[in-house]
Amino acid sequence: MGTIYVGVGEFAASKTPGDVIKTMALGSCVGIVVLAPSIRAVGMLHVALPDSSINTKRVKEKPGMFADTGIPILLKEMQKLGLTGGKIIVKLAGGASIMDPNNTFNIGKRNILAVKKLLWKYRLGAVSEDLGDSISRTVSVEVDTGRVQISSPGRGTWEL
Amino acid sequence: MGTITLSETNQDVIKNILGKVTNVPMLPQVVMRLLTLIGNSDHSLHEVVKIVESDAALTARILRVSNSAAFFRGNQVHSVSKAILQLGEKMVAGIAIGSCTSDVFKSPLHGYESAEGELWDHSLRTAIASREIASKFAKGVGADLAFTAGLLHDIGKAILSEFLKGSTREMAQKCDAGSYDFLQAEIEHSGTNHAAVGEVLANHWNLPIAIVEAIQHHHSPAAAGDEFRALVYAVHLGDLVAMMGGTGTGADTLAYKIDPGYEEYFTVDKDAIPELMLLVQDEFTRTKSAVFLDEGV
Repeated sequence: MGTIYVGVGEFAASKTPGDVIKTMALGSCVGIVVLAPSIRAVGMLHVALPDSSINTKRVKEKPGMFADTGIPILLKEMQKLGLTGGKIIVKLAGGASIMDPNNTFNIGKRNILAVKKLLWKYRLGAVSEDLGDSISRTVSVEVDTGRVQISSPGRGTWEL
Repeated sequence: MGTITLSETNQDVIKNILGKVTNVPMLPQVVMRLLTLIGNSDHSLHEVVKIVESDAALTARILRVSNSAAFFRGNQVHSVSKAILQLGEKMVAGIAIGSCTSDVFKSPLHGYESAEGELWDHSLRTAIASREIASKFAKGVGADLAFTAGLLHDIGKAILSEFLKGSTREMAQKCDAGSYDFLQAEIEHSGTNHAAVGEVLANHWNLPIAIVEAIQHHHSPAAAGDEFRALVYAVHLGDLVAMMGGTGTGADTLAYKIDPGYEEYFTVDKDAIPELMLLVQDEFTRTKSAVFLDEGV
């Protein structure tokens, strides 16, 4: 029982009562939170980039780094905890960007699109999301309640 | 000294800020000499070695880092010249700056709601990103100089932070409403901004002009002097890339505008930014764990 920290490109899943899964300071990265009420389990993935084709070597070392390779891994992790076919609730946070009128540096937007596309493949869609803008977000999810919270410096804490 | 933006109502605050800068201890001679030397493109390894060897504590630190797990290449390094070749000059400057300015870099930035150590993490990540970007510029910018300038670009925040305390939420709200970037919010609440305060501190420390320009103009690179502009664009982009990667300094993270003038120096195709971000992420993780593990920074 405790807090499990998910770093950049990492993922975690738990059904241990009292556990909290947390990822710090999402900038353009996207945090994908999944809740499986049927087995009382939660999971989280911290995706940094949209597409693994830019560096296939890194896919082997850290598949969670990319949206296309990370999401299948997170879902497998939930299956390991006993998820067979029950309902999965998805919540998304992050994908922020700097103020860039040309969108060249807008990796946040590209991450969001890639994540949603992948989820769609699995016939999943987010029930709630807090995406975009120019802020940093820390996200946590509690096993006991399934409550997902976001905080950002200067902006307090709110529920997703 | 400096060109802090003046506003009628904030002159007292600005006087206090300037007073605070004058109280910051000077940088040790060894750091100054290293920065000046690295800022000059025409220098030899031998000169860097001589400066490092003049300081026993710095010598020990550099040998320790070059023998740490992240940089170890199979043979124990006992000489400063081998250590510098292995680490690169940029890392040597980084180690020197980090170990001598921990008070500036380590303190929490309350005015930004930024925790202890975040300014250093953001600075180190910006340094790495600035170096990688500079190395891709068509027009030559010294990658080592970009690293050092990136490391120092936000020093003004260490001073300005306490003058923004109590206003952080209001500043964040204005940025979120889309009407401001954080620099404008800083000016409204203090009469100046962290780049201008950084310039004053850089001059107080007698830093080389290229680094002063990078600090002063890292959010306004088009305003930098001709010969420094490419360097300043590298730091401008490096700063933004660090924030995109999630390593900012609290409430102002990402709340800045990009200056598209970088296109003159840097061609960005579809994969350029993801590749850059991946490289910076890996290098940041490696450098952070090796260099400043037990350095008190």
